[in-house]
Amino acid sequence: MSGQTPHAHSVRNYLVVFALLCALTAAELGVVYVPGISRGLLISALVLLAVGKAALVLFSYMHLSSETKALKLTVVIPLCLPPIFAIVLMADAVWRRL
Amino acid sequence: MPEAWPTETLLGKATALKIGMWIFLLSDAFSFGALLLSYGVLRAQSSHWHIAGEPEFGINFTAVLTFLLICSSVTMVLAVSACRQRKHGQTLLFLALTILGGLLFLTGQYQEYFGIVGHGLVAEGLHFGQSHRATTFYLITSFHGLHVATGVFIMLLTFIKTALGKYRDGNYDALENVGLFWHFVDLVWILVFTFVYLIPPEAASS
Repeated sequence: MSGQTPHAHSVRNYLVVFALLCALTAAELGVVYVPGISRGLLISALVLLAVGKAALVLFSYMHLSSETKALKLTVVIPLCLPPIFAIVLMADAVWRRL
Repeated sequence: MPEAWPTETLLGKATALKIGMWIFLLSDAFSFGALLLSYGVLRAQSSHWHIAGEPEFGINFTAVLTFLLICSSVTMVLAVSACRQRKHGQTLLFLALTILGGLLFLTGQYQEYFGIVGHGLVAEGLHFGQSHRATTFYLITSFHGLHVATGVFIMLLTFIKTALGKYRDGNYDALENVGLFWHFVDLVWILVFTFVYLIPPEAASS
């Protein structure tokens, strides 16, 4: 059987996360429609909100928060690589356009 | 019951099935990572990302699809929770709701592409191969849609097994792993929604 931590796996916890995911999605839509918002601020806000939502799903619904430290690191460290590559490659692409 | 797995202090009580699923999900994450990375680089180096005449993406409609996936994620996790507590009826109910959410998402994606009510993106002039924007859009969203369809199929099989009483003993390992896959599909959509739909073309915001 899988590891269990009843408190983290409670129905109340799941519903709180659901409400947070809905609120963050509404915030994403709200940010997009803010008049006159700068492109840099808009992209930063959207990326932060998306990362927050993804982390909620990963740690709560996928129960990664209840796993051992070794399993958490096995999952989280490789997942950090694509964003790092993205930042480097996109910065390079933008730099070449300047 | 799954095969007995020797006690392993580093990985705790995670079963072989679960570790295998995490390895698969990581490899799948790299596939999506590569697609989104390519998308980001192509978009960053393009001075005219949104070619005149190409249709806009429907942000509000896609937000509804996002809401559907979030709802199906919570029903999936509630199905696992019900199975753990040996609540057979609730497990079936939440699984059925999750499958419904997946099917509605796929219907929504079909509407977006081809149009059931009104015109879809294809009829409005967005064709695969006509621009980087069009090609990456169809590639990324259809690859995700393939995952949704796979998830729905696996959940249908799981629903039948559950209905036949396979998980009545409270062993939720298989159901939890189906859930892991489904939540991953939701997680990927969160990123696709942001990067493909919400971030506007440069010209539109400047």
